[in-house]
Amino acid sequence: MIFHSALKLAQAVRKREISAEEVINYFLRQIEVKEAGIKAFITVCADQALEQAQALDRRTDLPGLPLAGVPVAIKDNIVTKGIKTTCASRILANFYPPYDATVIKRLKEAGAVIIGKTNLDEFAMGSSTENSAFYPTRNPWNLECVPGGSSGGSAAAVAAGEAPLALGSDTGGSVRQPAAFCGLVGLKPTYGRVSRYGLIAFASSLDQIGPLARSVEDCALLTRVISGHDQHDSTSSPRSVPDYLAELSQPLENIKVGIISGDLLKDVNPEVKEAFYFTVKQLEEEGAQIEELHFSSWAIGLPCYYIIAPSEASSNLARYDGVRYGYRDLSEKQLLSMYQTTRTEGFGAEVKRRIILGTFALSAGYYEAYYGQASKARLLINQEFRQALDKVDFILTPATPEPAFSFGAKADPIAMYLSDIFTVTANLAGVPALTLPVRCSAKGLPIGIQLISDFFQESELFRLAFLVEKKVEFIKEYNKIN
Amino acid sequence: MPEKIDIDYVCSLAALRLSEEEKKELAPQLQRIVEWIAQISSLNLTGIKDKELSTVSLATPLRKDVVQGSLSPEEALANAPEKENELFKVPRVIEGGDSQE
Repeated sequence: MIFHSALKLAQAVRKREISAEEVINYFLRQIEVKEAGIKAFITVCADQALEQAQALDRRTDLPGLPLAGVPVAIKDNIVTKGIKTTCASRILANFYPPYDATVIKRLKEAGAVIIGKTNLDEFAMGSSTENSAFYPTRNPWNLECVPGGSSGGSAAAVAAGEAPLALGSDTGGSVRQPAAFCGLVGLKPTYGRVSRYGLIAFASSLDQIGPLARSVEDCALLTRVISGHDQHDSTSSPRSVPDYLAELSQPLENIKVGIISGDLLKDVNPEVKEAFYFTVKQLEEEGAQIEELHFSSWAIGLPCYYIIAPSEASSNLARYDGVRYGYRDLSEKQLLSMYQTTRTEGFGAEVKRRIILGTFALSAGYYEAYYGQASKARLLINQEFRQALDKVDFILTPATPEPAFSFGAKADPIAMYLSDIFTVTANLAGVPALTLPVRCSAKGLPIGIQLISDFFQESELFRLAFLVEKKVEFIKEYNKIN
Repeated sequence: MPEKIDIDYVCSLAALRLSEEEKKELAPQLQRIVEWIAQISSLNLTGIKDKELSTVSLATPLRKDVVQGSLSPEEALANAPEKENELFKVPRVIEGGDSQE
């Protein structure tokens, strides 16, 4: 079990009860055994990881490293110097970044070992990892089901025990939804809490890198390491970063939790609804005051998101023109045809759908009706969050409308988009949100809940999640799959 | 009711060239998505002013104006599909004149 807690693992490595090399070898063996069934990784960096671990073992300052010897799996849209970074796209299939993302730099400084790069929906566009240009990833709880997405590889790797921790990115729920599908704790930090430098851009006003872990403690530990201001990202906040792990033991008093009203739950799977009200009961037992909130703007979050995110994506993805890096169709002899053929061959169907949608929403004659109106709707959502969080400390929702679904179940794009109905609003508003597994469905699939708090209140979010985690003891469910 | 999306025109703006087969599959999907997102047009948002549109108010922190390292030409060109003499190579942009090839 020690191998599944990053916290205990780092403690053991710091005390030299175990070497970083032994740790990485254990996880590389897990990958060897499990990867054929799961397919969580695009690249396993066995040689680099082993070298990194051996270098750590030679260091004399191990006691100062919060993640000493802890392997971390990285979503393959976060750049790693000299390690192939593909975004699960043909257009970046052979891209070797010349620099490390800020989060990677911080992980290495904290003593973490980069174990591999994980699968995702191409350019983080999707909710099942079926949009990967390479292969889908399978859910460790049931190989017939998707792991969620877009950070499906990161979630599956941690749930399967191939790595104790992982990083994903969350633009509309891409950390939280796969965390819920795979029985993990996942956080979308406050916009600006974590540097986006080196995160391959999808929708810059919504994107945020976030941690995936098996426990709230591990999630808090990793969040502290990756957070903080970075001069390479001017949207990163200069606020100081609390010691989230140390603050977990501070009690929360007079907790007020707002729950979303019943009308927003009418299309939710009955077992998810049960898990949601079960959590409400746990919170009440802990003395929390529960209040139902009426969010008139919640339901417009998804259509609003599907205007803003593709609009930003259509602009961000204009850089893939076959000139400086990435795939190029070498047969084209004329510049514009080269751009068109390169992009048409390089991007998959969902990425093309979103580029076309975003280009349309920004085009002359439609800009005001779509992008302009969506920007105003986003402000309305933001105002409603501010009003709600003046009244209550936290907002509780289900994480997803249903547990993990089967491969191919959401062939209709809009049906797939609806997977993120509970998660997109936090990205639009910029507030932090965490998902936490609370129980399993009758079919043995994890069900998660989502907790949202005010800007930069990650510490409070972790403390409430810690309280719920201790009551529901979801970790015991892992005995069923390990 | 939203207008019909002109997929050829939008693709030309986005530098994409879809096959007839792709168009057949994507056009009805996109039309449905556009109809679905158009529900936001029914919202009354007239009270919201453009200048309020930034949802997160962040000051821009500035760094010291000191020269910092950057990528070497070799590093910057390492991923280029085609390069020549420390430059990115692209197909001819200007028509006519003597070809160098």
